[in-house]
Amino acid sequence: MWKIIKNEGKSLIRSKVLLGLSIIFFLILLCSVLLGKLQSDKQMQRSNLAKKQLRNQWENIEGMNAHGAAHYGTYIFKPSNFLNGLDEGVNSVTGNVLRVEGHVQNEIVYAEASQMQAVSKFGKLKSALLLQYVLPLLLIFLAFHSISSEKQSGRLKLLMLQGTEPSALVWGKTVSVWLYGMALLTLTLIFYALFNLNNIDTEIINRTLFFYLSYTLYYFILIGLTVLFAARANANLALTSMLGIWIIWTVFLPNILMSSVTNWHQLPSRNQFKEAMKEERSQGIDGHNPYDERVLELENQVLAEYGVDSLSQLPINFDGLRMQADEEFGNQVWNKHFGGLRSILSQQKTSYQLAGILNPFISLQNASMGFAASDNFHHQEFLVQVEHYRRTLIKALNDEHAFGGSKTGDWDWEPDKDFYKSVPDFKYQNTALDNILKNHLPDIMVLIGWTILIGLLLVFATKKMPIL
Amino acid sequence: MDNFDWSATGFRNKKDAHTMKGLTIFLYEWKHFVRSPFKIVATVLFVFAGMYGLHNGEKLYQEQMGVIATISEKSQEQINKHTLFFDQENPSPENRPWVNLSMPDWAIWYTRTYHFKTPSPAIVYSIGQAEQYGFYKRVNYMSSPYDTDMTKEIANPERLQTGTIDFAFALIFLLPLLLIILLYNLKSMEHEQGFLPLIEVQIATKNIWLMSKVLFYFVFIYLVIVGLLFYGALLTDVFASSGSIFGEMLFYSLLYLVFWTIIFFLLIRKGSGIMENTLKMVGIWLIATFIIPAAVHQWISIEKPANLMTDFIDASRDKKEALYDEDDSVLKARLSALFPEIENSALFMDNSRNKHAFQESKLALLNELKKENIALIEAENTMKNTMVQNSYPFNLISFFQNRFNKVAKTHYNDYQNYRNEIQYLVDIQLETMVVDLWNDTKVDKERFTEYHEIFSSKNLNQN
Repeated sequence: MWKIIKNEGKSLIRSKVLLGLSIIFFLILLCSVLLGKLQSDKQMQRSNLAKKQLRNQWENIEGMNAHGAAHYGTYIFKPSNFLNGLDEGVNSVTGNVLRVEGHVQNEIVYAEASQMQAVSKFGKLKSALLLQYVLPLLLIFLAFHSISSEKQSGRLKLLMLQGTEPSALVWGKTVSVWLYGMALLTLTLIFYALFNLNNIDTEIINRTLFFYLSYTLYYFILIGLTVLFAARANANLALTSMLGIWIIWTVFLPNILMSSVTNWHQLPSRNQFKEAMKEERSQGIDGHNPYDERVLELENQVLAEYGVDSLSQLPINFDGLRMQADEEFGNQVWNKHFGGLRSILSQQKTSYQLAGILNPFISLQNASMGFAASDNFHHQEFLVQVEHYRRTLIKALNDEHAFGGSKTGDWDWEPDKDFYKSVPDFKYQNTALDNILKNHLPDIMVLIGWTILIGLLLVFATKKMPIL
Repeated sequence: MDNFDWSATGFRNKKDAHTMKGLTIFLYEWKHFVRSPFKIVATVLFVFAGMYGLHNGEKLYQEQMGVIATISEKSQEQINKHTLFFDQENPSPENRPWVNLSMPDWAIWYTRTYHFKTPSPAIVYSIGQAEQYGFYKRVNYMSSPYDTDMTKEIANPERLQTGTIDFAFALIFLLPLLLIILLYNLKSMEHEQGFLPLIEVQIATKNIWLMSKVLFYFVFIYLVIVGLLFYGALLTDVFASSGSIFGEMLFYSLLYLVFWTIIFFLLIRKGSGIMENTLKMVGIWLIATFIIPAAVHQWISIEKPANLMTDFIDASRDKKEALYDEDDSVLKARLSALFPEIENSALFMDNSRNKHAFQESKLALLNELKKENIALIEAENTMKNTMVQNSYPFNLISFFQNRFNKVAKTHYNDYQNYRNEIQYLVDIQLETMVVDLWNDTKVDKERFTEYHEIFSSKNLNQN
């Protein structure tokens, strides 16, 4: 088998067409790496500038009471990970800006895709686009050619007569084309690493290794299947069948299966979602309505607690407590409704991951986005972290309003200027690799399952290979 | 050959003979087609994808129409309820005694003005950018077309990223693939099996032979597309909406089909083997549909990274504070420049009574400030759109995608028009509020009803 691999390697290098094609393809890949890096850097630069500007505004709040600052709020910009330069995932459709303020959990807005007319249905020229759509097609043609050329030239007959085992031949052909694919993938990642040397740490290396593993498995599946078809069927049927499979796997099924899972686990319409939250929210305390019965109840409780008869006798500012009570009730409502949304999204993801059994391309896409930190898991994780930050921020503001030194009804009281500086800025914590692995274990397992299946087929289904 | 007696063959001349042969080849290709299960399966899959896409478009149309109907109904209930408040001595909603609906600002706040981007029946053909934007908004005098509630419907981002198969997707991406499958072995099969010299002997020109075969598939596919377009038209009643939609779809589909047919014809004509032809055709398809649009997208993102709307955020917060801090005389001068009619109003010169009117009118100045900053955002978006349009000569896929989106009213510009309409409604509300406040108007039931008429979306067409 080693000889076959060596010979294949030599013929790949000797063929001027193939060598030319490989060089062109590699240059395009290199170009995608460079452009991906450039775009990520520019976006990060813009994001850091905006972040700095907003933080500066926050630290220099003047003429505002603490609850006023909660309404003034701040904005969080979705951070971009440098691995996004490899696979952008959902980032261009999710929005980039999230307003953080009192009384309400906002949704992320201003998606890049909404800022101009349609350009590319398959996203930007990132390495993932080429590695997922274009390189596999090249590998299919190579794998097909490696067998069919042997058949057409009559060399296959000669090889069989010389005692070459059919399974050794197909394995040799599969591995040689696979190594070619791996070489392009490896070079792409090496160049990506070279352009991003400053950002590399253990976590990035681990993520990249899993990213690499997903592609190696998928390429083996695709190449093995092509070699199998080319070995078993006539040339035309083999090529057209593999092209058909490629089209169905990459163009048809991801769309159809994703639409199906979103129909099975339906998300509410925005109107239904908002109305349900509004309805439930109206059952709780309204921090801005002093006539609200629940406010009066809270007032009595606090008066009893401090042993005084009226709000003016309280040593604290009751308005701050009222606002925080409103906030805490709101938090329960958001937990229920946004939690419900996350649960549906999670069900959709699980079902879609299972669809990888039918289509390993889905598993590859899931794993690629996941390990490049640009899938919906990471997006949801970001939203949850922002919401935790919002709650901490608003509580700090309401507490300052209540216990900072003002009295009830004193809306002109302003906290010390240093107070706003002391409120920590939002810091995004990267999702731990353990969690990513847990989330993407089904995808990896499906790819391994497919690899084993193809491996077995290569052994057993090629024992009797037609040699003409 | 020039002296050949064509009458013996039954044809008047060489031209007639070629035409007849061409027609025979054209008709005979049907037999080739029905004998190829692979080609039949590919055609059936294309039809399935087209129909699936049409139904996806119809589903979105029905969903959006349903949401619009629900909101309109609820809004009407609210309007009726709020109108009844004016029957009370002090018109105020329950549990909100501080709300005085006889004041123009409160009354306008309690009008329920919704503005919708009603989907066109042509959405059945191209969902386009419809899933990236909101299609309903409650408009009040503090609104802006870039408010956070203008966001898209709740959706799984991974589904949005994968995209929905709509008819335009089937046409733009799958049609060339279908053509490849139908044409990949034309001439190359005969070449590989050694029949080509025989064919050349039998027919006078190889080009007519190949052209007739390609023409058969061209006509066949176009008939399939027309059938699908007609089927789609029945789903959302496209014909009742506008006759031009169907005509435009027919035209652009034909143009797109001609584009790919010519490219593939030239490749087949020059090429020889099946493998070589297929590789070239798939290569061109990949470059045209994946690589060029993706490279253009990447280039635009590098030149103009995603806007984080800091201008708009500033206008809503710090610039707003700065505006409100300006001297009253300056603000009053700006107000009268904006609404000259208030200079003759009852309260304009009476500083002891115009505090409330003045305070609320500052919102109109804030609106102007927001508009200035929105213009910056939209200028950047326009630049991006210009960059996309400039790429059309070598990026035909994006050109056709946007043409289909325009026909279906799901193009960026359609949502820009929607945002402009919202801005217009905000301006009208502010103008009405400012003028009524300065004229010390007491809102009654009649005026409240008038407000709804003034702010109605129906007035948009007249402006």
